[in-house]
Amino acid sequence: MLKPRFPLVVVLAIILLALVLPFLLPWTYDQIDWDAVRAPAFSGAHIFGTDEIGRDRLARLAAGTRITLMVAIAAALVSLVVGIAWGATAGWIGGRVDEAMMRIVDGLYALPFMFIVILLMVVFGRSILLVFVGIGLVEWLTMARVVRGQVMALKQRPFILAAEAAGTPSRIIMLRHILPNIAGVALAYLMLTVPQVVMVESFLSFLGLGVQEPLTSLGILVKEGADDMDMSPLGLVLPGGLLVMLLVCLTIEGERLRDRFS
Amino acid sequence: MLALITRRLMTAIPTLLVIILGSFFLMRLAPGGPFDGERPLDPEARAALQKAYGLDQPLWEQAWLYLSRLVQGDFGPSLVYRDFTVSELIAQGLPISLTLGGLAIALALMIGVTAGLFAAVRAGKTADQTIMMAATVATALPTFVTGPALALFFGLWLGLLPVSGTGEGLSWLVMPVVALALPVSGAIAKLTRAGLATVLKQDHIRTARARGLSETKILFKHGLRPALVPVASYLGPAAAGLLTGAVVVETVFGLPGLGRYFVQGALNRDYPLVLGVVTLYAALIILFNLFADLLYGWLDPRMREG
Amino acid sequence: MSLYEIRSMAVSIAGQRLVEDVSLTVEAGQCTALIGASGSGKSLTCLTPFGLTRGVAMGSMVLDGIDLGSADAARIREARCCFTGFIFQQPLTALTPHLTVGAQLQEATMQAGAARPSVRELVRQLERVGLSRADERLDQFPHRLSGGERQRVMIAAAIAHNPKLLVADEPTSALDASLRAEIMGLLYQLRIEQGLGLLLVSHDLASVEGHADQLVVMDRGRVVERGPASKVLSDAREDYTRRLIAATPRLQEPAPKLSRPGEILLETRGLGVTFDRPGWRRGKIQALADASLIIRQRESLAIVGGSGSGKSTIGRGIAGIGPVTEGEILWRGSMLPERRKRSLDMRRLIQPVFQDPVASLDPQWRVQDIVVEPLRNLRPGLTTAEYQEMARVALTNVDLAEEFLARWPTSLSGGQAQRVAIARAIIASPQLLVLDEATSALDPLVGAGILELLLRLQSENGISLLFITHNIAAARRLCHRIAVMEDGRIVETGTMREVIDHPAHPATQKLISAS
Repeated sequence: MLKPRFPLVVVLAIILLALVLPFLLPWTYDQIDWDAVRAPAFSGAHIFGTDEIGRDRLARLAAGTRITLMVAIAAALVSLVVGIAWGATAGWIGGRVDEAMMRIVDGLYALPFMFIVILLMVVFGRSILLVFVGIGLVEWLTMARVVRGQVMALKQRPFILAAEAAGTPSRIIMLRHILPNIAGVALAYLMLTVPQVVMVESFLSFLGLGVQEPLTSLGILVKEGADDMDMSPLGLVLPGGLLVMLLVCLTIEGERLRDRFS
Repeated sequence: MLALITRRLMTAIPTLLVIILGSFFLMRLAPGGPFDGERPLDPEARAALQKAYGLDQPLWEQAWLYLSRLVQGDFGPSLVYRDFTVSELIAQGLPISLTLGGLAIALALMIGVTAGLFAAVRAGKTADQTIMMAATVATALPTFVTGPALALFFGLWLGLLPVSGTGEGLSWLVMPVVALALPVSGAIAKLTRAGLATVLKQDHIRTARARGLSETKILFKHGLRPALVPVASYLGPAAAGLLTGAVVVETVFGLPGLGRYFVQGALNRDYPLVLGVVTLYAALIILFNLFADLLYGWLDPRMREG
Repeated sequence: MSLYEIRSMAVSIAGQRLVEDVSLTVEAGQCTALIGASGSGKSLTCLTPFGLTRGVAMGSMVLDGIDLGSADAARIREARCCFTGFIFQQPLTALTPHLTVGAQLQEATMQAGAARPSVRELVRQLERVGLSRADERLDQFPHRLSGGERQRVMIAAAIAHNPKLLVADEPTSALDASLRAEIMGLLYQLRIEQGLGLLLVSHDLASVEGHADQLVVMDRGRVVERGPASKVLSDAREDYTRRLIAATPRLQEPAPKLSRPGEILLETRGLGVTFDRPGWRRGKIQALADASLIIRQRESLAIVGGSGSGKSTIGRGIAGIGPVTEGEILWRGSMLPERRKRSLDMRRLIQPVFQDPVASLDPQWRVQDIVVEPLRNLRPGLTTAEYQEMARVALTNVDLAEEFLARWPTSLSGGQAQRVAIARAIIASPQLLVLDEATSALDPLVGAGILELLLRLQSENGISLLFITHNIAAARRLCHRIAVMEDGRIVETGTMREVIDHPAHPATQKLISAS
């Protein structure tokens, strides 16, 4: 179904490297090499050099990517599940229930959600669980809207009416007729949600509100790099560049899928 | 049209209330108040402060008190910046944030719509593909990456533009606005092109062509307005995105805008400040959404009945 | 010299030849009708010489002395703006949504270089095409007008600049029967008044009879037969033409031989359906009121009416897939409960067949699963092999080969998909089929095949049919009795012969004269 295409290959390569590198490098991401503080790139054993306290940049990059992706995928899955459940229910039941459910979605859409998430972070502490949940809760709205639209359109299609006339119970209609027909669109939007979540997580980390020490993420790495950029720009360029590349590739693939299914 | 505006305002007020009250209770429920920080106070001073800020009263009364003051335009005093009321802080920061956001949207619209139009007219050719690739890359550029990158390149290396603070003249605006506008302009470019590509396939374009009109006339008179509909519906979320982007940009470039106050307030548990900013931003976004809806109605008359 | 003459024209898209060796003429003041099934190339033939499709036309195409084949883009544009007017199929989408009717009409009037028309002039144009309250319409946006009204505006706009040739691509296909006759009558009138040449494209032979002077029949990109209309219709040379003429139902043809009905199967008493207005508006919409009818065993009842007459509503209510708010439905004397409360056994007795065959099949399911779905519900315990065998038998009953079992719906033609839908509908041995415009979206030859299939199923299985349609002539081929509907009510019922020979209600009379 998905022919090997450059952006997808890039994404998979990044994921692979992020998973495999810890086994190949002699250092962990938080190990301090007292002999090589601020080592420039390609000098000695550290391929990309070390940061201002002597931690290997490449190891940190790999670790940061892992965390960021983990958060992104988990949050995207949360938004997928919640979004589909909400949207499919609203679309299928229709009428007043749908109006009420969608009104809630519209209301939430209007909120400056970033602020609410930040508020939640501040109030309930900075646990990584909250990061997952918080971000997922932000992103489910679009999924809910899209799924509801699809389900409403499908509901009126004759093949659904025919299934009803054939005596198929609603449960089975939902499972066997409706869901398979929205799977494609849902997948496409899932692919598009992941970069959104990556951005949100990085943003929070950048502000000091997301993933916390000793863990690291791409957002934290960018912040550290930005703080230190006059001394060694590589600290900014590496994570920043990787982040952008990841986002671009995910977006391209996601849009390709979306165009295919709509 | 009037019915639409009234209806929107009717839903806006409860939404705003929910946001205010929700944030209010959230902050109050948070463990640790603003006084649990680094400077421990003796019980007397603490009691006095608590009384002054009304923190010793039951929650509901505090809420009511807050709301009634809010309606009069009194956001309360800042708990951290002791010498200022929140209204004063907002008055200081709002113009900067608004300028940043306003310029960014204007820039994004200008670049985005033009690029999108250009690409759509040359659909399928290299110009189109290049522009669309550039637009996709632009949407994936988070402000907290481009901001520091721009500062690094134009500020530190080339020394052309100021890296922080507002300084004299207007040159301080350039980098922050560009960093803010880039992702939005990419999104607008894509939406414009997609919108136009869809519209140009529709029947009424064929009718216009059948009338023997020139391609330019067809594009601008018959094609442009419906093509911009997706852009108009995007403006609401775009504004929300810009507000959050502004937070980053203000932090990175050291600008005394509302965003920075918000972050500081959140980190320091300065409730009134945080609440004030949240309320203001929510109101701004709702207003902006209303404006976007009206624009939508002008672009596509079928939406006017709501 | 003819007004418009095409000789040996070919049209290709992206290197592929889709139309080959087409020749036709249009004389001033006359109508040339281009007939063919979908995919026959008729739209390409009409529109490509004027640069309105993605195709490229080669050959001789001469309009009033201008050779379109060798003309450059500017000249072709001139041909469009000054000498030709166009009317397209879908009135609902053919007008620009954000410009008022008046603005678009004004643009059309000025397209050949005329001066800005006065408001009075525009009003006159709209009145000429039979639009009421013309002055109000000028300030309205297109979405406020109905389909028929929009098509009239399209016609006014198409002739506003006094063209010599009018090209109409299926102008009445999207409209219902009575409107169709009015629009065709309008075109006829304008043709006479203005001496226009009319190139008319249609897939429906019946709608152009009586209007066309010349007839051109196309099939798969080629002209099959052409000549004066009266001659082609009475004495067609080609086999395809003859089959096409035979497939098109006409009221004048001999009455069909139908099966003998038995006892009363289904009866509705005072059936009604009322909806709440959508959104926040108050008030209700009455889609159906006080509908009472009877269907017997082995009988076919036709329900005929225009759009909005309630015919689909009553069909869905009876089949148990639409709501019923008043009245009752009796099956062999006992009450049939409303939609959601019907038992499996009750559901199996009445099955629907829909208008859009491909949309009535789940694109994610294979044909074999689609066809046995009713059986899986009724008799869940069987093995896969048993289900598959039943599916195979069902397909044989509708004349489809076994290889269709593994196919996906998107790979099926309209006719094949409808046969699959019918196979599914009859697999559990229902006693009544509700056919909601089941042949309206199909090409005439394909539709005729489906009608024959239904007749055969009725005589073999004794099944009753409720045939909902807007085409009274097609209904006559299949049905014993007819009920005519208008505005949600049944206005006339009777045997086919009675109602057609002596229509009592004006709605019926309008439908008959439109055929």
